[in-house]
Amino acid sequence: MASRSMFLRILWKLLGASRGRLAVALIALTSGAAVCSALLNVNLDAERKLTQEFRTLGANVVIAPPPVSGNDAALADAAVMDRIAAMQVPQIVATAPYLYVAANSGTQPVILAGTWFDQVARMNSWWKIEGTRVASRDDREHCLVGIRAARELGLAPGSSVQLRSGERTVSLTVAGIVATGGAEDNQILTNLESAQTLAGLAGRVSLVQLSVSGTPSEIEAVTRRLSNNLPGLDVRPVRQIAAAEGTILGRIQGLIFWTIVLILILSMLGVLASMAALAMERRRDVGLMKALGGTVPRIMRLFLAEAGTLGALGGLFGFLAGVVLARWIGERVFGVVISARLEVLPITIALTVGVALAGAFPLRLLGRVRPAEILRGE
Amino acid sequence: MASLVHVDQLEKRFGEVRALDRVSFDVQAGEWIAIMGPSGSGKTTLINILGGLDQPSGGRVLVDGLDIGNLSERELTRYRADKIGFVFQQFHLVPYLTALENVMLAQYFHSITDEKEAADALARVGLGDRLEHVPGELSGGEQQRVAIARALINQPKVILADEPTGNLDEANEALVLKLLHELHESGHTILVVTHSQAIGNLADRRVELEHGRLARISVPSLAKE
Repeated sequence: MASRSMFLRILWKLLGASRGRLAVALIALTSGAAVCSALLNVNLDAERKLTQEFRTLGANVVIAPPPVSGNDAALADAAVMDRIAAMQVPQIVATAPYLYVAANSGTQPVILAGTWFDQVARMNSWWKIEGTRVASRDDREHCLVGIRAARELGLAPGSSVQLRSGERTVSLTVAGIVATGGAEDNQILTNLESAQTLAGLAGRVSLVQLSVSGTPSEIEAVTRRLSNNLPGLDVRPVRQIAAAEGTILGRIQGLIFWTIVLILILSMLGVLASMAALAMERRRDVGLMKALGGTVPRIMRLFLAEAGTLGALGGLFGFLAGVVLARWIGERVFGVVISARLEVLPITIALTVGVALAGAFPLRLLGRVRPAEILRGE
Repeated sequence: MASLVHVDQLEKRFGEVRALDRVSFDVQAGEWIAIMGPSGSGKTTLINILGGLDQPSGGRVLVDGLDIGNLSERELTRYRADKIGFVFQQFHLVPYLTALENVMLAQYFHSITDEKEAADALARVGLGDRLEHVPGELSGGEQQRVAIARALINQPKVILADEPTGNLDEANEALVLKLLHELHESGHTILVVTHSQAIGNLADRRVELEHGRLARISVPSLAKE
């Protein structure tokens, strides 16, 4: 007990003895820890924020009936929508059923896609629409027309269009012209029930598009769950989108990881420079301590405890500064407030203590000091 | 009675230079020995070997039955903590520790610290009112007295003093010599390296070195009286 209190007493004096040099090391550690803590906070939050952002970029999972032979289109029961809802999967951001109907506008053939507009809007907020969106899934009067289809049919927002399929017809008013760069550009999108009525396919859908949030592995897990709960239907992730999202997330995480490594190396070099100067100052003290009977491990424990304390302090101060920095980065880059994550604190402190101990390498060399030479003044 | 210190044909070479050349002598427990000689005669080298700070190149050195030449680095460290009390010309106190803590540092490396015992040791050398002063706040004489208190705190078998008054004025020199004299009177074994004939005359015996060789061992007339 007395020895431990003496250890702490000497440690306290050591921390006060070379305040200038230790302050430089502490600044290097705090700066490094601040950037690391900020990046770790951003990393933890960025994945969540980015996957949320990705979910506005279109469907990433498709549910469809297996293909059938002949000319008949494969169709599924629209009750699949209720079964998906009943599963209560929190990662599902939006679910949009589609029924594709081959129709005619006058003599021009066109594909009519019946869907739920509210869900389509949630998963495709990036669609460019000239005119107005159709907000409600129950709106049976309006439609959106793909930009190429509008050009061929001579339609504009406010135009009326009459569609015919066999003996059935439906009249719609064009709310907006939509440009997606995809198949929708050649289609007319309308209310699901309108399309079912026109095709005479009440209660049927061609496929269901889902927007599922999460990392690629989480999306895979949701896909498996859906597949198990929806026998007789194909549940497939849209590989290109999932892979692109995974690549972007991986690159951001890689960038953050290597930035942290680089910052830690730079911090360590800063600490190393201070500690090298400190080691020169401490040679005489170490020589004396060895002459008094101090073993190398016992003496080194003092200096490593000093470096470790600096690392812990640097980690703590750096974490606090990092929270502020993360908030700033979050607002600037993601336009959201990134909240402080407490699990980053022990990681930051552990990393900074590690850097401080590695930077204290010159102090460890003091163990080789020969007391006779030091005490002679060599 | 066996000698406390037995030096037999001791040699120390630094490359081609022979710092000590077949030096032999014995020291009995309780003796005050002055090690004398001109600069470069090997006095400090001898003290360093006796103190376990350096290893001999040849010959034997036995202190309290321990053969220093056969000790490992770890055993030498333990030997210094247990058997030796050092007093240096340059005082060699840790500048950021108080007088009390400098004394306690020797206790810390020896076994456990005892603040009261350290304070008593400082009081014995007349520094009872300077416990919390750091070396920079003490005079040269006071610093040397702290070093003496530190050397004594673990009750060493031998006190080794290398020019202990070399950096002191006359008044402080007298104080330090009085302390050494008191230690001698109380039975401590003291080996002092010195250039000073006056200090040499206070010793029981003088071991005189020249060019690393033992020139003579003499008994000063003052000690004989």
